[in-house]
Amino acid sequence: MKRSTTIGGVVSDNRFGLVVLIAVIVIAIGAIKPMFYSPQFVVGPMLTSIAIFTVVGLAQMVVLSVGQMNLAVGGMAAVGAMVAGIVFQAFDAPLIVGLVVGLAAGGLIGALCGVIIAYGGVNSFVVTLAMSFALLGLVPTVYGWVSVGSAITVQTPGLSDLGRSQLSDVCFGDTCGPDGIPVLLFVTLIAMLVIWFLFSKLRVGREILLTGSNDKAALLSAIPVPRRILTVHTLSGALAALAGFMLGASTGSFTPAIGQEFMLQSFLGPILGGTLLAGGFVSIVGTFLGIALTVVIRQGLLLFGVGLEGLNILLGLILLIALSADRIRHVVGQRARLQATRRSDTMIAEEVTA
Amino acid sequence: MKARLGAALRTQNTSLAAVIIVGTIVLAIQSQGGFLAPISIRTFFEFLAIPIIIGLAQMATLAVGQMNLAVGAIGGFASCAAAILVADAGLPGWLGGILAILIGLAAGLVNGLLVVLTQINGFVVTLATMTILAGAQYAMVGTRTIQASAWPELQAIGTAYPLGVPLIFWLALIIAIALAFAYRHTLVARQMLASGGNPLAARLSGISNNRSLVAAHGLSGLLCGVAAFIVLCSLPGSNKSIGGDWLLSSFAAPIIGGVSLVGGTVAVLGTVLAAMVVRLVDSARAAFQLDPSWVNLVIGAVVLGTVALDRVRTRRPSATRGRRRPPADAPPTAALRTVERGAGA
Repeated sequence: MKRSTTIGGVVSDNRFGLVVLIAVIVIAIGAIKPMFYSPQFVVGPMLTSIAIFTVVGLAQMVVLSVGQMNLAVGGMAAVGAMVAGIVFQAFDAPLIVGLVVGLAAGGLIGALCGVIIAYGGVNSFVVTLAMSFALLGLVPTVYGWVSVGSAITVQTPGLSDLGRSQLSDVCFGDTCGPDGIPVLLFVTLIAMLVIWFLFSKLRVGREILLTGSNDKAALLSAIPVPRRILTVHTLSGALAALAGFMLGASTGSFTPAIGQEFMLQSFLGPILGGTLLAGGFVSIVGTFLGIALTVVIRQGLLLFGVGLEGLNILLGLILLIALSADRIRHVVGQRARLQATRRSDTMIAEEVTA
Repeated sequence: MKARLGAALRTQNTSLAAVIIVGTIVLAIQSQGGFLAPISIRTFFEFLAIPIIIGLAQMATLAVGQMNLAVGAIGGFASCAAAILVADAGLPGWLGGILAILIGLAAGLVNGLLVVLTQINGFVVTLATMTILAGAQYAMVGTRTIQASAWPELQAIGTAYPLGVPLIFWLALIIAIALAFAYRHTLVARQMLASGGNPLAARLSGISNNRSLVAAHGLSGLLCGVAAFIVLCSLPGSNKSIGGDWLLSSFAAPIIGGVSLVGGTVAVLGTVLAAMVVRLVDSARAAFQLDPSWVNLVIGAVVLGTVALDRVRTRRPSATRGRRRPPADAPPTAALRTVERGAGA
């Protein structure tokens, strides 16, 4: 996760900036509309959205880490939720089985994309775009087969506890958690922890990042580049499926509509959080903060009565601004790196003269 | 090389034509000839004009190695904006039609400029503009449908059937022919192809890649504007759902039609034929009374298959169409993989 200090400085500034921005917005909206702090009506749903969209953002982030994209995050989320729903409905499976099978289904779709990309040598966004089209047709068709009214509603024990309860429902003896913090947030924290561990502690993670920053160099350093590309796409599919599962759990039913609004969010989070589109660098906390910022803005505007259309315009604008910022950061980073090399050159020269 | 190129193109188009003929025969038999009645032929071609135009709009960006996710949003926004200007501001209908085309062009040029200025993949840029335009479209019309009776001049175009085929279909065909001619003979279009095929070589030959990008996105937007014009001519009104389902068909037509996804090639005839195949699938879906999601499933699977096989096909030297370079984000293949094995990975 560490890079040279100059770039690290810029990136951590970016995250710090996000925290400040979120705090300012929360205080400003709260000052005008005290309703914003209502744990039941605003904070709870908001944190649930943040929890789900952060996982979506992570699904995109892991693919961005090798400089590729996954346009089928929505479709993979829909498949994950659908498969989990079917397992619950048809086999009365316990919660964990449905979750695991759902994740496996998403991972499998991701792996299929990964195989075509890594071994077929086709551009990642073309493959995932085509996959998203296929899933767009597949998912409603399968729902049509297995359910009446295109939705699977199940009463699996634990599902609504996971998706809809808050910490105030979790009690140890007499002490209960605070109101307004959904249990789903902890699922997200676990996912973030796993991804963080992967990228910062495991060899596989380092290999992925090296693949992203320079695939030829990675290949010449004996890193199995195609296999790592397959890894990230599988991981992305599984994460997307997790997000779809979480959304299904939070609403209580699995429908084909799951994942429809995932794509824009999936890019907003990582890009706002400082993950480079070109690959080679990821920011997990940044992704969380980027998602948090967009969700806070969204929720705040909803409170002011701004309609969905206004939100879309705004989200698009935020993405454009974030893109320009990404570009500026890239240019600044390059310049800083250049200066750093120059400085070290002069230092070496001075040492030699000394 | 040229003969081989022509032959390969012919095979692709021949198979598409064969699919169209077989599909037509099957549908004709299934409907006991009803599919070939003048009225159903009219409907068939009426709903073919827009898929052809939006397929060509996507092709224009694919030719420079870019994508335009905002095809539907530009078309929907342009048609709604023009409809409101005519119905509420009292502009004459013909002016509304021209405005729809110009709004599309302007949106495309903005896309192109943003791509050049941010140096970011056109996909992400158009994802942003798509969201903005779709939001603006909804903000403008809300849940209202603007009735087409406000622009009778344009509706007259939509209900004209020279030779038993809708005028708007002839219009789409003329545009396709003009594009085919342009990609063969005009300088700016050749430059776009050069930029898409090999940006470095194009730059070294004195071609401005940035200008090609802006021109391609502009052309794409212009064609989306034309699609919006056809919407005004042929549909009974404009509302927020216009353009919402254009994305898949805009990609399906050029990809199935044989346009290389890494840029540098176009296939106007292939795109037109593929749009016809997609339309046939839709007709078949209606004839067999299947759920609309079947169309997406079939077309999506065909597109995915085409994309996956595209690479395999181009590896066989006999089927090579034009120069190829590996996609920018594809992993290094064969040659370097040998190195990897050599390094004892």
